Amino acid sequence: MPRVNRTAVLTLLIVSSSVFLLFQLYYYRKYVSQSGPFILSRTGHLTANDLQWQAVKKFLGLARRFGLPLFLADTAALRLLSHDALRERDRLVREPHCSFLCTGRPITSFALHANLWKYEPGFLLAAEQKGFELLELRGEDPRLASLDNLSGEEIPLHFLFRLYGHVIQVVFLYERSGNYLWHGELRFKSNADRSFAPFKLLDYGRHAGSYDRPELVLTVLDGLDVRIPRNVTRFLAEQRRARFLECRYRDARNFLQLYPEDSSPEAVDFRRKVKSLLHSAARILAGINVPFWLSSGTCLGWFRQCSVISYSRDVDIGIFVQDFRSDIIAAFRDAGLSLKHKFGKVEDSLELSFVSDDVKLDVFFFYEDGDVVWNGGTQARSGRKFKYVFPRFSLCWAELLELKVRVPCETLDYVTANYGAAWNVPVRSWDWKSSPSNVQENGVWPPAEWEELIQVH
Amino acid sequence: METWTPNPRAKPFIPRQQRSLYLTWKYKLTNKRTIRRFCQAGAVLFLLITVIVNIKLILDTRRVADEDAAAQAYEDTIPNMETPRRPAKGRKILDIEVYSSRSKVYVAVDGTTVLEDDMPEQGRGIHVIVLNQATGHVMAKRIFDTYSPHEDDAMILLLNMVTRGRVLIFTIKDEGTFHLKEAAKNLLKSLGSQVSLNLSWRDMWTLVVKKGGQVYGERHSKSPALSTWGDPVLLKTEVQLTASEEAECHWAATELNKRRKLFCSKVEGYGSICSCKDPAPIEFNPDPLPNNNILNVPVAVIAGNRPNYLYRMLRSLLSAHGVNPQMITVFIDGYYEEPMDVVELFGLKGVQHTPISIKNARVSQHYKASLTATFNLHPEANYAIVLEEDLDISIDFFSFLSQTLHLLDEDDSLYCISAWNDQGYEHTAEDPALLYRVESMPGLGWVLKKSLYKDELEPKWPTPEKLWDWDMWMRMPEQRKGRECIIPDVSRSYHFGIIGLNMNGYFHEVYFKKHRFNTVPNVQLRNVDSLKQDAYEVEIQNLLKEAEVLDHTKNPCEDSFLPDSEGKTYIMYIQMETETDTSTWTELAKCLHVWDLDVRGYHRGLWRLFRKRNHVLVVAVPISPYSVTKPASVTPIHLEPPPKEEGAPVEQM
Repeated sequence: MPRVNRTAVLTLLIVSSSVFLLFQLYYYRKYVSQSGPFILSRTGHLTANDLQWQAVKKFLGLARRFGLPLFLADTAALRLLSHDALRERDRLVREPHCSFLCTGRPITSFALHANLWKYEPGFLLAAEQKGFELLELRGEDPRLASLDNLSGEEIPLHFLFRLYGHVIQVVFLYERSGNYLWHGELRFKSNADRSFAPFKLLDYGRHAGSYDRPELVLTVLDGLDVRIPRNVTRFLAEQRRARFLECRYRDARNFLQLYPEDSSPEAVDFRRKVKSLLHSAARILAGINVPFWLSSGTCLGWFRQCSVISYSRDVDIGIFVQDFRSDIIAAFRDAGLSLKHKFGKVEDSLELSFVSDDVKLDVFFFYEDGDVVWNGGTQARSGRKFKYVFPRFSLCWAELLELKVRVPCETLDYVTANYGAAWNVPVRSWDWKSSPSNVQENGVWPPAEWEELIQVH
Repeated sequence: METWTPNPRAKPFIPRQQRSLYLTWKYKLTNKRTIRRFCQAGAVLFLLITVIVNIKLILDTRRVADEDAAAQAYEDTIPNMETPRRPAKGRKILDIEVYSSRSKVYVAVDGTTVLEDDMPEQGRGIHVIVLNQATGHVMAKRIFDTYSPHEDDAMILLLNMVTRGRVLIFTIKDEGTFHLKEAAKNLLKSLGSQVSLNLSWRDMWTLVVKKGGQVYGERHSKSPALSTWGDPVLLKTEVQLTASEEAECHWAATELNKRRKLFCSKVEGYGSICSCKDPAPIEFNPDPLPNNNILNVPVAVIAGNRPNYLYRMLRSLLSAHGVNPQMITVFIDGYYEEPMDVVELFGLKGVQHTPISIKNARVSQHYKASLTATFNLHPEANYAIVLEEDLDISIDFFSFLSQTLHLLDEDDSLYCISAWNDQGYEHTAEDPALLYRVESMPGLGWVLKKSLYKDELEPKWPTPEKLWDWDMWMRMPEQRKGRECIIPDVSRSYHFGIIGLNMNGYFHEVYFKKHRFNTVPNVQLRNVDSLKQDAYEVEIQNLLKEAEVLDHTKNPCEDSFLPDSEGKTYIMYIQMETETDTSTWTELAKCLHVWDLDVRGYHRGLWRLFRKRNHVLVVAVPISPYSVTKPASVTPIHLEPPPKEEGAPVEQM
């Protein structure tokens, strides 16, 4: 071999081996790392987990191709990701190569910001070609339902994709006025296939739900690129209490036909003030992590007319007494709401009132007692105590005046307890000591403690 | 070397090797050839390893693929969804009844009345119905009042647009031949009519025909005398439906064409949208804007039942640079199918609104519902663009708004940004880069701030029982509160609607037809920030200083009132004692052929417009604060309205 050519041969060899090496790297990234359990399950036997992983992988591949910004919302998978589970994992190594997405459940849920979804038949078609079976669940657009007589097209609420017997749920999250995200209930049309998926196991769709906009991060789970909420623990906590109640717009319209809304400038002005007061109360209480709900007249206004009762003069909210914090008053004061009076004590009949812009905010603390819940009232002049008794309730989210607020889920029971069966008839002359149907006399504060227990500012 | 033979008795070579190991290496390393050898060996080794690893990988992948195949064997295979072609079933027959008379026409297809008109004083002329030859659906329903001029041309246009093979039904109510010219009669003849050439005054006539095909029936009754009508005629005939394949074009199977196909199977009369060979586009892909501040601003298109208008409007809207179709919602007042078909053709969102109240109040309630819905659907939006279905949208509409939008946030004295200059006619508007502030609310393509709507307008919007125009209400001082709107000199929208609640042909001809409309793309607006309240006053003061006073002794209506110059700024003073003393302006507006129905487009008693390519400032003396610039020698122009006569009551826009 002539000597001159050796250099050439050498160069050639180096180049080709480098190319091989690069190819190898690329190949490794593209195929080996992503095939996860397959390449490693040498038994030749596919477990349910492998199928789940495979279905999720194919689905995410599709979603990426069509630029759908899905994020993982599966409670089981996210729980594995939350901090507690991560600590435990060191001791207990589960399946080594699919440890997050393979939850062993027949469903994996993802969520999608609906305004990023342009109706893309191409995506559904491609999914079908990949072997996915699809169940689309659509429903009315609640953002139009609040308006008289508007009807848009039905919006997609949930998509279910099935592959290898594994179901992938895509929950559509819609932006609502009040700065929150909403998803609808999953309900069947009469002709839908009810055996498509084990619906009882779905994380989402039993009720409508509402969420704060989660911050997302892109991460790699089991070799797949997935977006997840940055604060997994908070998302999971939110998910457990996400149930959302739509206002009964149709009934409210009927009510307003019978009793038209007062549109005098004073009423308009009052509604504006209530809105701003409610917004600041919600902001203050969220700041110190105290959950509250609409109570009394404000709750009735939401339930009966999806709005504020213009002659009600104040805003009423309820807080469970176990959520009481001593810095509540300071928090309100710092936000510019002055304390008007404070009745009772944390152990009994606590009630705070604040004033902002001529509108009073009454904060009632609720006490649990067996199968009832009650709050107290105090007459400043005489020291008489009153008790308002409600059946037990849980809390749901609702929207009022462009604000996401809690209301008792069993709203009808709550309102009926407070206002009797005739809650649907406006009563303008209202006496808080005798009109409510759940009011009970509760003795008198001992005069020695008046100074402490009846503070009027 | 070749001749060398080993000596069996020779000593082994070991000592030397041992002795000079270090030296050997040193020697070897200093020898270039050896280095090369060494590298070579390394490279070969490297290559070998690579090859082996790769082969292993390939083998692994092979196995995965096998397992994949095995996995697929597990699940139920998806059945091939290809539906078998339906066997050509017995073709259906449609029974058609067509009635023509002086006071009533009707058309029934298979017993269903698809047209019935027995209203007195209405529906005169030739009624035309287009049926789908495969389904029997009504695809278009029009009246051409061919008693009046030019209507026959419109009919010719429609008949030419209709796809070959469609079933056409004609019937005359009252009178339909007075202005039915030869061209139209010949076209009818070519369609297969036997009598079209003989149709004359007050004849009754019905015809059912397939375009480019057979005649299913025709009946005609002559009017015996000028003062009487022909006897009513009733035509009963049968139409054989064809297979649907024959009624469709074979466009490429794309998503767009799917929409097109659906649309074209339902309606007729949209020109080349449904042409088989070279259909008009339904997707426009206009250029994006470089700095689009308006991309996420929702667009509400307010529509009624004027689907042809809506079609024209959406076409221009979707062709405008920087449009974001995702943000467009069309709000249709009423449950009309055809406007919804148009919306779906373009792949947009449509919302239907059950009508509340009547006339102007109905429009007003529709506006309120549409605006509320727009902000509900886009809770994150701070503005909404409001458009109507009878507007053409300028190619730089979004660019115009994108450049001005920030003013709404930065200047509390602003009420809206509008694309429309009430006084911007072809002879009075010149400069596409120029903006004004005006105290009126022009509408016709405008931006509404959410806070204005939610905090002020929505809570006190006129209730259904108040028969108010929404725009008149918005212009009232209680709502406007002295705030102003930004408008361009050259409008970015064009009002083409002729039929409408407040519209008729004459009105359109006089006030809208000659309106100037910008067709230049990407206009860079001049000094946008000088439109803010204080800056604008400075701007005006500069203009006033620079302006030459016109000769007030001449007649302002004459062309010679202005010198034959170009690009100069002139000023004139007109008399206006109080807010309500509008006679001089109105007379001036009349002779300038600008908007004269009410006083619009001024800023503190100052109008700005162009005449003969010069900028003219018109100052109302004494109510305008700019009156102080008037030289003492100049007497403000005063014009008296001509003596009152029974003027045509023109409705307000």
